[in-house]
Amino acid sequence: MTVLRRVGLSLFAPVLAVVVALVISSLVMAALQVNPLRVFEVMLDFGETPAQQVTAIVVIVNRAIPLFLAGLAVAVAFRMGLFNIGVEGQYRLATIVAAAVGAAVALPGPLHILLIVVVAVAVAACWAGIVAVLKVTRGVSEVISSIMLNFVALGLASYLLTGPFRGSEEGASIISTAEIPESGQLGGLNAVFGAIGLAEPPRQLYGFLPIAIVVGVVLAVLLNRTRFGYDLRVSGLSPSAASASGVDARGMVIKTMLLSGGVAGLVGLPDLLGTTHSYTTDFTAGLGFLGIAVALLGRNRPLGIAFAALLFGFLDRSLVPLQIADFPASVVTIIQGTIVLAVVVANEIARRVARRNAERGSGQAPAAVAGDGGTGPDQTSGGPAGPAGDLDQRQGARA
Amino acid sequence: MALTGVTGDGAAPAAPAGEAYAVQLRGITKRFPGVVANRDIELRVRRGEVHAIVGENGAGKSTLMKTLYGMHRPDEGQILLDGREVHFKSPADAIAAGIGMVHQHFMLADNFTVLENIVLGSEPTKGVRLDRAEARRRIREISDRYSLGLDPDDLVENLGVGARQRVEIAKVLYRGATTLILDEPTAVLVPHEVDELFGNLAELTREGLTVIFISHKLDEVRRVANGITVIRRGTTVGTADPRTTTVRQLAEMMVGSELPSPETRTSTVRDEPVLVLRNLTVRTVEGRALIEDVDLTVRAGEVVGIAGVEGNGQAELVDAIMGLRPLASGEVHLDGGTTGDGGSAGLEDITGWSTRARREAGLGFIPEDRHRQGILLDAPLWENRILGHQTLPPAAKGPFIDRKAARADTERIMAAYDVRAPGPDTLAVALSGGNQQKLIVGREMSSNPRLLIAAHPTRGVDIGAQAAIWELLKDARAEGMGILLISADLDELIGLSDTLQVMLRGRLVATLDPAQVTPEELGGYMTGARTAAGAA
Repeated sequence: MTVLRRVGLSLFAPVLAVVVALVISSLVMAALQVNPLRVFEVMLDFGETPAQQVTAIVVIVNRAIPLFLAGLAVAVAFRMGLFNIGVEGQYRLATIVAAAVGAAVALPGPLHILLIVVVAVAVAACWAGIVAVLKVTRGVSEVISSIMLNFVALGLASYLLTGPFRGSEEGASIISTAEIPESGQLGGLNAVFGAIGLAEPPRQLYGFLPIAIVVGVVLAVLLNRTRFGYDLRVSGLSPSAASASGVDARGMVIKTMLLSGGVAGLVGLPDLLGTTHSYTTDFTAGLGFLGIAVALLGRNRPLGIAFAALLFGFLDRSLVPLQIADFPASVVTIIQGTIVLAVVVANEIARRVARRNAERGSGQAPAAVAGDGGTGPDQTSGGPAGPAGDLDQRQGARA
Repeated sequence: MALTGVTGDGAAPAAPAGEAYAVQLRGITKRFPGVVANRDIELRVRRGEVHAIVGENGAGKSTLMKTLYGMHRPDEGQILLDGREVHFKSPADAIAAGIGMVHQHFMLADNFTVLENIVLGSEPTKGVRLDRAEARRRIREISDRYSLGLDPDDLVENLGVGARQRVEIAKVLYRGATTLILDEPTAVLVPHEVDELFGNLAELTREGLTVIFISHKLDEVRRVANGITVIRRGTTVGTADPRTTTVRQLAEMMVGSELPSPETRTSTVRDEPVLVLRNLTVRTVEGRALIEDVDLTVRAGEVVGIAGVEGNGQAELVDAIMGLRPLASGEVHLDGGTTGDGGSAGLEDITGWSTRARREAGLGFIPEDRHRQGILLDAPLWENRILGHQTLPPAAKGPFIDRKAARADTERIMAAYDVRAPGPDTLAVALSGGNQQKLIVGREMSSNPRLLIAAHPTRGVDIGAQAAIWELLKDARAEGMGILLISADLDELIGLSDTLQVMLRGRLVATLDPAQVTPEELGGYMTGARTAAGAA
């Protein structure tokens, strides 16, 4: 009973959000004289042959991997009340530097890939570190500085791409860095499908999948089971109580931003190592911003983020079929947008329900949100809704 | 002891039976989960008087005023304005009924003019445009009538604190308020501004307005008020006539003397000091001293009580010892605990240590505001159990948190310290204030600190929990813990302390023997009416 209630309540907000978003987007579609039922049908249609269906799943998962990583990067900062909007710039800059380094060296296979990963993580962490340093030394809001640094990072990436890291021919229509040699490419996992008796799709399932899963598990353990994670979550729940308990607020901001940035550095790697093998002018953009939505929907828990990333991957996959069926692709954007809005509202509702339950039911089963560390709903709503407030408190505590 | 001019309920200075009070509250009770914030409040305010409501912080003054201003609804009781019962659903209803609130913290937009700030929210319009001429005329009229001395076109950012407060007053008058609630209006003012404010209040009442004045500064209350109602522990304990009541009598009413006794008598004070402060000075960023040259020693088995009117540097002193606030100068020394052969390791200079290092070295902390510093409301009890002790057993296992051991130890604390809750996974928000406080006390005691800082350890808890916490502090003292007790409850201070220090404007101004001193004398030292030289 209690377990059921607990699971029920933690699922309540995201499910409610998705349902509300579907209803609102149906209304919008109806207003645009598009039949929403037909749209949903197209979105759910994975094709007739097994090969087509497996391909559709591969496309969804391949898209979900970077979204999952971006969601994790945002969530780590959210959990301590920091709003890292800079994931976009962090991963773009990290990816181009990693692509250039990867193309410039020749190392045996695993080492080569490891080097690329380490470079990407280091670059993104440093970039996020600027935000942290500005915050602890000058009190600059991380929201402002990370947005601004996005512009700087994108500009810097363009400069590097057209200047020192340029690998493509003069006059080529798409400018790119030099291709990473074979030893630095990560093979696909399609053999898995063969092994479990499914048709091997023409597209490769990214070999980065296991790495992403490991990162997710490590972060879940780090946040919920370690002293560091405890300090981080306490800082998010109550900066003043954290300081009084001996958490060094400044140090925590720096460590958390470095961690968040480090994870952000991985965001571009599934695509880079799996398919493109070089950074180009049309390299996947916008993952950082989608990551914020994914983190919100997943309530800042790694497992939730994984599901949210799969949902967003599913929505993104339907872009092409929708266009083929002559529906406006913006339908997907509308659904994604309404999910984000609905999830913010639903999280707040869930938080109030949980609080009221807790306040009322001293004799009853303990509060539902206690689940995995017990920081869920307040955290999710506190992150986006009140970064400014949190900031003030922290600065107050420091002054 | 009978108080002159102090009366119980029915005997309030008799108004003719038919005459209605401007504001009358009957039997107001307001409950929050786990606490009764107000109980059976009786308040009668006549038209044209300045009526003061006095009580300690946390006595329930603010809750009461929020009820009167429509910010929440009472669970029981009636509000009568001019004899008619009213029900406020929101502050808008209260404003419509002529009640205005001047908040302690000003709610003004700095880069707007006085006029713009005053009309904000109730702008006079001509068509769709703001009718500045009309607004200016009315503001001039209000300003002249009550001698507020405001120029509608001044920018608020150019005004001093006193003038800003007058803008706030003009704001509520502009909305047609006939009853003004002033929440601790003098807290932000310097003395001559206080005089000006009192002049303004006299103008207001001369024009027939009613002022409700909330304060805990008793001398000011006696200067300005025509009537006083005293609140203690959420209920009105009586009214007093400022002309015939002394500050001492008021203080006695505020603090009360029929409380359960926190007394400890046999001394357990040992020789070795556990905390020594030398020339401790803390300044604001602007360089104003918050605490100045504080020298203090707490010995093992000793309770040192710090008495003082709130805001005289006690909070800063606690922060300085905890390492939460940088020192301008001075040193903090803490006993390093016992060595292997049972002897003391001696004092260590912890001035430069982080808060965490201090806590690990044996500094326990019961914070003044538990919701701000002591507890995570949205976290389960076991996570609250390890808050502040997350680097020590049973919480820590290498770099990991030992959740099982933490839960088990939470259950132990719940049993040993009578924390009433379903289990270690309950959210802290589900507990009453008293149970939250017992959890905090239990957790701080469990690490066997050398020195415990107990800031208002029984604030906002019911009588039962209060007695339990007092017992725990006495037991710890008997076992050789040094305790620094900060409290506003004079009986608690006198009853528990072995030594009393009085803090006034950031300095320790008197050292008293709690066996000799009465609450009245102590109150005198706290307000500066008595000095160490004069009495000792």
